[in-house]
Amino acid sequence: MLHVLLAKDLRRARRNPLPWLINLIVPLAMTALIGMVFGGHSDNGALGRIRFAVVDEDKSLLSDFLRGSANQNQGGKYLEPVFMEREDALREINANKISAVLIIPTNFMHNYLTAREPVSLELIKNPAESIHPAVLEELLGAVVTGMNAISRNFQSEFPDWQAGLEGKTDYHKVSQLIDRAGDKLKTAKKYIYPPLVSYEKEEPADESKSVESNSGTTNGISSTSGASKSASAKAGGSKSGSTDSVFAFLLVGLSAMFLLFIAGNAMSDLYRELRQRTFERYQTLRDSLVPFLASKAVFAVVMLLLCSGIMLGGGGLIFHIHWQQPLALMTLTAGYTCFAAALFALLVALMPDERRAAVLNNMAGMALGLVGGCAFPANQLPAFLRDHITPLMPSYWFVDTVRNLQFGGANVAWGLVALKLVLLSVVLLTLAAMLFRRKFKMGLRA
Amino acid sequence: MSHLKIEHLSKTFGAIRAVDAVSFEVRPGEIYGLLGPNGAGKTTTISMISGLLKPDAGEVFVGGKPFWSNPQQAKRIMGVVPQELAIYEELSGRENLEFWGRMAGLSSSEARSRAVELLESLTLTDRAKDAVKTYSGGMKRRINLGCALLHRPKLLLLDEPTVGIDPQARLNILEFIRNLRASGTAILYTTHYLEEAETLCQRIGIIDHGRLLAEGTLSELQERLGGDRVFVLEADFKDASPDNWNGFHQRFRIIQKSERQLVVAAVGTRDSSECLKDLLNLPVRVENVTLKRPSLNDVFLQLTGRELRE
Repeated sequence: MLHVLLAKDLRRARRNPLPWLINLIVPLAMTALIGMVFGGHSDNGALGRIRFAVVDEDKSLLSDFLRGSANQNQGGKYLEPVFMEREDALREINANKISAVLIIPTNFMHNYLTAREPVSLELIKNPAESIHPAVLEELLGAVVTGMNAISRNFQSEFPDWQAGLEGKTDYHKVSQLIDRAGDKLKTAKKYIYPPLVSYEKEEPADESKSVESNSGTTNGISSTSGASKSASAKAGGSKSGSTDSVFAFLLVGLSAMFLLFIAGNAMSDLYRELRQRTFERYQTLRDSLVPFLASKAVFAVVMLLLCSGIMLGGGGLIFHIHWQQPLALMTLTAGYTCFAAALFALLVALMPDERRAAVLNNMAGMALGLVGGCAFPANQLPAFLRDHITPLMPSYWFVDTVRNLQFGGANVAWGLVALKLVLLSVVLLTLAAMLFRRKFKMGLRA
Repeated sequence: MSHLKIEHLSKTFGAIRAVDAVSFEVRPGEIYGLLGPNGAGKTTTISMISGLLKPDAGEVFVGGKPFWSNPQQAKRIMGVVPQELAIYEELSGRENLEFWGRMAGLSSSEARSRAVELLESLTLTDRAKDAVKTYSGGMKRRINLGCALLHRPKLLLLDEPTVGIDPQARLNILEFIRNLRASGTAILYTTHYLEEAETLCQRIGIIDHGRLLAEGTLSELQERLGGDRVFVLEADFKDASPDNWNGFHQRFRIIQKSERQLVVAAVGTRDSSECLKDLLNLPVRVENVTLKRPSLNDVFLQLTGRELRE
């Protein structure tokens, strides 16, 4: 029975493939869009080096210092400044070859040291990119904050510094200036070191060993020791840098959310069956509605699995995400797609009016996605939602388990979660069948 | 034994009593016509018989057994042709037939061979592989009918199967239904076309506002109007009052009266010429008198006070 119903739907899909193609194209487009927005050209799944132009119109000692600091140490690892004239830089940004242009204007050093008028650095961002220019903007903000701090603390000595930098003073005075600056920094040391908040990355034991043996360092990125008052954020359990990527986190949530929308779309075939009276005709021949609904759900699940393959598999390829436990991910995804299909079968049964349901189904998908922590991390949701509602959401079961698998480690009860999702879908589908039966008996007409 | 028997079937939707204590039966090899205007309760009655709707009261017996005691068994001997086309437009005619055959419980090979037979009977063999959406209205109706026949049902419920198709296609379908009846199938046929009920059905039930007003063969229904004669008088009846005409109600039964027309049937077995003479002597200036055999419309007119075509 089930295979006859499935074969019928397959034939229908083959003859009228547009709705199903849209179902497949939507996740493909979404993945491509996310890839484009977040810059899918990185080498290791992280942000990659940010290429930007520096236009030095000041040509002073200070601008030389700013130019030089851009690619020093850690900066050199993530930043790739190229130095050119304004016209060339604008040409490059228009050709989408650089992420931004930093312009150090004429008289920058002079105005900064004399404090006669406000100084500014100009940053032109590439509108075709979002993350890289934003990172540069934040970095520049940090530089400006630092320069403001220096300005406030050393304002009284700026005229002497300016004279020194312009070669209008003797070396004796310069050495006194350096000496005083050293004293001031020594006083400030206890306020700025150690920092109150630090970031510490933990490496797995075996991983640390391999790093030690290969590079001779004890901890690749660690910058602080654990001070008594410090709070540390930890990220661990991953094999490679790529899995730490924010994209793996985002992709799971967005995929879970879009799978809900696609499930709604796939199950809307039930509306067509109602409209065409074929569902009604089926009832004149068979007493049980379960096979009919189950065939729709199975068909939708196949479609959803294809879509999730595109989103998670394709997205993984684009962002170089190494899925930690592919089998668990696939099992969970299968369970989640079953749940999504059954949920929308129930929603069709609850709301057989196609026009009204179109809006409500989308809202239901959106609510389930948002409250389930698909779009935002669940711990950032309002307390009531986070503590009482979110844990009840099957979308949360799915995304939370997958994220834990990806970022948390091996001891995640994913099998239990997958089983819960499948059992829930059986309950939802049975409810849908009962509701349809009841509504038909009361005279349901599309 | 009748294949279908319904007793005091009733259904209410809110304040509307869609079907009110309807009872009738359909025997093997019989076409029972349920005649009534749109909204009379025909489709609701068929929906209750086929199990799509649960009756509020009354009982449906299919093959002598109560429908709700074993719905699946009842559905096995029943074929339902809904008023709207209930077929997959993307599939071909043959695929539709085969699919509904499988749903009716046939094996794959049975469904295939039966589909071939039906396509031939419905004269659709040459279009069998084409998608139904490319068919004409009449062809779609034929496929819609064929989809209910794969499992050779003993009882066929046809809900206005000729609505919206051209006269030639209608004739084809009616001929096909006559052949089904000849093979012993019991057929319940709902329609609001008088001619179809008159020419196709062995027995007719007249339904209006959910109530079965009368039933019987065409001649039995005509007999209700006083045999085979109805007189149609044309005159100015605006101020006329038949109650004041001496002995008129003892000799004639009024079927319909309007400002310009009076339709009457003679009471008893008096000669037609004598009746005509009586009518011409009425205290109104009669412009025209027509003598005709009573139609189902006249029966409906007498039962409801309005024409079926209204």
